Amino acid sequence: MAYSLLLSLLYLGMLCGNGLVSARSELFTPDPSRGPHFTGCRSREQETFRCWWSAGIFQNLTEPGALRVFYMTKHALSEWQECPDYTRTVKNECYFNKTFTQIWTSYCIQLRSVRENITYDEACFTVENIVHPDPPIGLNWTLLNVSRSGLHYDILVRWAPPPSADVQMGWMSLEYQVQYRVRNNSHWEMLDLESGTQQSIYGLHTDKEYEVRVRCKMTAFDNFGEFSDSIIVHVAQIPSKESTFPTTLVLIFGMIGVVILLVLLIFSQQQRLMVIFLPPIPAPKIKGIDPELLKNGKLDQLNSLLSSQDMYKPDFYHEDPWVEFIQLDLDDPAEKNESSDTQHLLGLSRSGSSHVLNFKSDDDSGRASCYDPEIPNPEDLATLLPGHSGRGDNHPLVSRSSSSIPDLGVQQTSEVKETPIQKQPAVPSWVNMDFYAQVSDFTPAGGVVLSPGQLNSSLEKKKEEENEKKIQFQLVSDGAYTSENTARQLSANVPSSPGPEQGYQTFPTQAVEGTSERGVPGCPPSDSQMPYLLPEAPPSPILPPVSDYTVVQEVDAQHSLLLNPPSSQPAICPHSPNKHLPAMPTMPMGYLTPDFLGNLTP
Amino acid sequence: MNRPKVLQAWLWCVSLWPCWLPHAVPLDCKDETGSFTQCTSISQEKLLDRVIQHAELIYRVSEESCTLFEDMFIPYPLHYLRNQGGNLCHSKPFPIPGSKSEIQQISDKWLLHSVLMLVQSWMEPLIYLQTTLNRYDDAPDALLNKTKWVSDKLLSLEQGVLVLIRKMLDEGILTTSSIFEHTLTPYNEQSPEMLESILRDYNLLICFKKDAHKIETFLKLLKCRQSNKLSCLSY
Repeated sequence: MAYSLLLSLLYLGMLCGNGLVSARSELFTPDPSRGPHFTGCRSREQETFRCWWSAGIFQNLTEPGALRVFYMTKHALSEWQECPDYTRTVKNECYFNKTFTQIWTSYCIQLRSVRENITYDEACFTVENIVHPDPPIGLNWTLLNVSRSGLHYDILVRWAPPPSADVQMGWMSLEYQVQYRVRNNSHWEMLDLESGTQQSIYGLHTDKEYEVRVRCKMTAFDNFGEFSDSIIVHVAQIPSKESTFPTTLVLIFGMIGVVILLVLLIFSQQQRLMVIFLPPIPAPKIKGIDPELLKNGKLDQLNSLLSSQDMYKPDFYHEDPWVEFIQLDLDDPAEKNESSDTQHLLGLSRSGSSHVLNFKSDDDSGRASCYDPEIPNPEDLATLLPGHSGRGDNHPLVSRSSSSIPDLGVQQTSEVKETPIQKQPAVPSWVNMDFYAQVSDFTPAGGVVLSPGQLNSSLEKKKEEENEKKIQFQLVSDGAYTSENTARQLSANVPSSPGPEQGYQTFPTQAVEGTSERGVPGCPPSDSQMPYLLPEAPPSPILPPVSDYTVVQEVDAQHSLLLNPPSSQPAICPHSPNKHLPAMPTMPMGYLTPDFLGNLTP
Repeated sequence: MNRPKVLQAWLWCVSLWPCWLPHAVPLDCKDETGSFTQCTSISQEKLLDRVIQHAELIYRVSEESCTLFEDMFIPYPLHYLRNQGGNLCHSKPFPIPGSKSEIQQISDKWLLHSVLMLVQSWMEPLIYLQTTLNRYDDAPDALLNKTKWVSDKLLSLEQGVLVLIRKMLDEGILTTSSIFEHTLTPYNEQSPEMLESILRDYNLLICFKKDAHKIETFLKLLKCRQSNKLSCLSY
């Protein structure tokens, strides 16, 4: 039942109440196209209200009294009553005074033509919803502050509530809105709603005129009242040219001072600045030996430099000096040429005795070549010798042991002051041959007897005499082991010598110990016999005795080769121990100087 | 001879016992932890200010809720309903005058009691409103939050008014339950029609806003009377 009533009221209201209250902003604008209708109702202070209407197109109803207003409150048992007061001064206005005004109650008004008994318009509302408060009064402003630049300022605007509104009692609680604009501008700046009676405005420009106005409305309602009268706000700009003058002067002087300071700084620190800005181009630094060092001749530093630069292998440098020499020998081009010449001379084909004379020529380490297992077997060598009757045992050239021939560990080595250097077909092999002392025989004690004929020098620093010797031994059989040709030559020489054995013995006279009387290693042969392994030696000693070669007597624990130790000499030479020995001056251990050897030559 | 006198005196004291009760038993206040402690005393003026603040806030929030609901659910042609102030707001046990003159003649006691009655009459409808709003699919959260907030504030407002009544009127009201009959019976009914339900809720919100305005007005009038009687009664 209640809902049906509600719905009916809704529809009724929709039909009738649209024009009046929904369009609040269209008050006081009569619609000429319509018939008689209410143009609006307003209350100023929530205690009274007025309503206006218009006849519209019905001009015949314009005379007063043609249209009448009836109202009804939503109280129970209420009926339509006529407007209590038709305002005389204003046309078509109905005024409800305090006695007829009730808030929180709905009013419905009707515009009727009594004569025709037609209701042209109806509207329903509550009074508090049609309240438009009066504008506030007493609007004024005070200057709050001015910015430092003098371009902006803030003001405080004050006002008073409208006198008609009973704010003190709490009958109406108002909210205010302040608006301002630059004078003669069209756009108003709106500030937020304010419950109090004052508000600050910030950021106004000096030398500009502003208009400020204020209006109010009831709290929680939407109807603003009229605007108050505008007030003009203007703050003149204080001319502050004096303040700008010192600043510019200060700026100018400051700039000058800074420039002067800079100039002074530059001049005082000229050198340093030059270095900083124009750094000297560094000279190219080549890594390597400082030429100054070489000029000064400080070998220690040079050596340290060189050694630090890893040009020499220290190990080899200290441990194997003879290796170095050999290396130097290897590097000597002259030797190479001569070795090749020797090769040609001898007509030795490497291939023929390759398996015998397969000496490593590419080995730059003499030691390696010494211990080269590819050193030909002396037995093989013996086979090469013509006329070899298989007397390998006594073959002077053949060592009893097939082990490494250049056994530097031989305790008893033939002592030969002058040991021939057998030219090798290849220089390295020739060089390597310096180490090799052919083992001619074994001592009962187990020592290996090295034949002096093939005995090679070692530890000799005969670099300068090597060339000489090479020339001398050009025709010497290559290799510690005589080649075929050499053997042939040797054998040819044999008949000249007493017996092949002896010839062999004489050949490596010094080498053979037990078999020949003369073949005493270490002892110089008879004067007729030359200690050099020369094919032409028996007929004529072509080559003078080489003074700078010696026999490797011993090898120290430190891998140093001991040559001609004075202690062993007397034991080894039974032949003529005193023949040469006394004639032999004391010599430095292991070394034979060329001068010394020159003395020894018979 | 003494016995009847003593008995009389004793009876007299017993009969006046209910009058002592509100003074003897102080009101228990709940502090932050939830335990009941004796309420801290507050001046009447301050209490009235606080109550007025509550009422103002409730009134503003009610207006905002009404606007929110209107924007969301009410078609524009029906917006005029708001101006009509609610057609079928539930009636009160006693009529409240609407004119300023009449209201000015209302006594303080009547004012306070009216306020209390209004506050109490809206407690249940607001709870109902919350449930209905939750049923809508696209009800804005702000609206739901505001409705809930108002329900909570209403309770505290009721308490404040009770204290005021006790202080200002020296009355003790023990019962705080709502004793009003709600004319809008279908609070518990299911309303299948969407438009009907929406309109009903809209009407409820409008009525609540009106009553909140009443509460605020009365309390402000009361305050005015407390500070300066002459200006408030002037006409």
